[in-house]
Amino acid sequence: MAWLSRPLTLVGLVILAHGCYSAYEHTLLASTSVQHPASPSAAALPLDIYIETIVATFLICLGLVLGTGAPEPIQWHTWAGKIEREADKRSSLAGNADKEALGNPYNALEARSGFINIHKLHGDFVKYTQQLSK
Amino acid sequence: MSEQELQINPIVQDSVIHNTKTLTNLHSLTASLFGVSAGILGLESYYGFLYYIALSITTSLLFYVFKLAPGSLAEGRSVLDTGRYYKGALELWTSPIFNGLPGFILTWTLFYGLVRA
Amino acid sequence: MAQIPPQTLHRDPQLFYWILIPITIVMVLTGVLRHYASVLMATTPKKADIKAIREQRALAHGAALRTNYHVLSRKSFETRRDFLIEGFESGAYLKAPNQKGQPPANPMTDPNAMEGMMGMMKNNMAMIIPNTLIMSWINAFFSGYVIMKLPFPITIKFKSMLQAGVQTKDMDPRWMSSISWYFLCIFGLQFVYVFLLGSDNAASQIAQQMQAQQMPVGPMAPGQDPSKMFKAEAENLAVIEHYSVLDGIEERLLERIKV
Repeated sequence: MAWLSRPLTLVGLVILAHGCYSAYEHTLLASTSVQHPASPSAAALPLDIYIETIVATFLICLGLVLGTGAPEPIQWHTWAGKIEREADKRSSLAGNADKEALGNPYNALEARSGFINIHKLHGDFVKYTQQLSK
Repeated sequence: MSEQELQINPIVQDSVIHNTKTLTNLHSLTASLFGVSAGILGLESYYGFLYYIALSITTSLLFYVFKLAPGSLAEGRSVLDTGRYYKGALELWTSPIFNGLPGFILTWTLFYGLVRA
Repeated sequence: MAQIPPQTLHRDPQLFYWILIPITIVMVLTGVLRHYASVLMATTPKKADIKAIREQRALAHGAALRTNYHVLSRKSFETRRDFLIEGFESGAYLKAPNQKGQPPANPMTDPNAMEGMMGMMKNNMAMIIPNTLIMSWINAFFSGYVIMKLPFPITIKFKSMLQAGVQTKDMDPRWMSSISWYFLCIFGLQFVYVFLLGSDNAASQIAQQMQAQQMPVGPMAPGQDPSKMFKAEAENLAVIEHYSVLDGIEERLLERIKV
């Protein structure tokens, strides 16, 4: 739907500009041709300019609404579920490269990479390689 | 909502700001356009403001239909319930009206002056 | 009863080209300029002394514990509280523990405090200088012209404001002079800035003033005795009645999944 936004707004702006020009010409004509330009009947616009302007306004409004960004849920649990799901989708598409950057903002706290016992991991790795070589 | 309830179901402040900003920007742009069209139509006094209020509510309605409804209906909320994205219903329907009003008056006056007077 | 015919004025279209359009363009450009000036003048935060940072962070730590205690269990909350209160009361986090009782230094002589004031001054200047300049420019060049008619009627009280410099008694107050177009521009140009500069711009004066009013007082307001602030924070922490969000979680969970 988002691709519709720009064309709709553009078409609406063109129609609005045309309506503006028509209205201007109409009032100019009315004020020069009639002797008493103050009379209210001469100042009334023809119906098609009304319709044109209102349709144009509606089109631009629709285009602008379609072009705005999507809102975010404000409840924490819906929001967190949404970003986790998006992160899953994206990481399954594009490998595991930037999984930390997306998803749960507290991933760093969940993983606690500062608390990893490197020596123990190294010992495990040595045992593993010894098992393999057997 | 009591304080304790708010602590049990916390609210994402960033999302609130993001949503409000999205709505405000949309309305300040559309309000100026409504001013242009009100000026072209040559509306005066009450009719101009009524036109603005009606169109502004229409914009909010369109925003609800295209942007809010898919998410909030999928969540099982009833129609026109905006609780998923806004704290109160007034935030969507009325507060943008006052936001866009200065821009509306500016363009209304300008185009009224250009086309009519 | 005969209706009073609306007043009509024949105005030279040149008024539009030489008054309305210049004022509008100048107003838009001022807003854009103000935005970029505020971007350029934003000062990078200065490197602070490690002791000063520790003092600020300890206070922020206390405030964070005070506002978020409900996510901690009772035991861990009490451990944290006791630790912080002890530190606060003994003055372990003070920048200069030996000048505890002395009155705070004059903010005018303290270079750090001066820095903050300069920032505020700059902000105010960015608002005041263009305003006075443009006001006097409009008054000097464009006063005395009637350029527009408002599309809605207003009371006679506005006449002196909208028709400044036009001394015509019987004219409808809806007719407005160039200075009132300037006021309309001040209030109504927000949408142009949204369109040109994106949503979080610094161009609009109205938005900036609202921001300045809502600005919270920083944790270290200049001219306050930090040891007293620590004492107050310790007291605040001591009176908290702890509860956890997990209290009664079982009932709530069962409530939610009940068929």
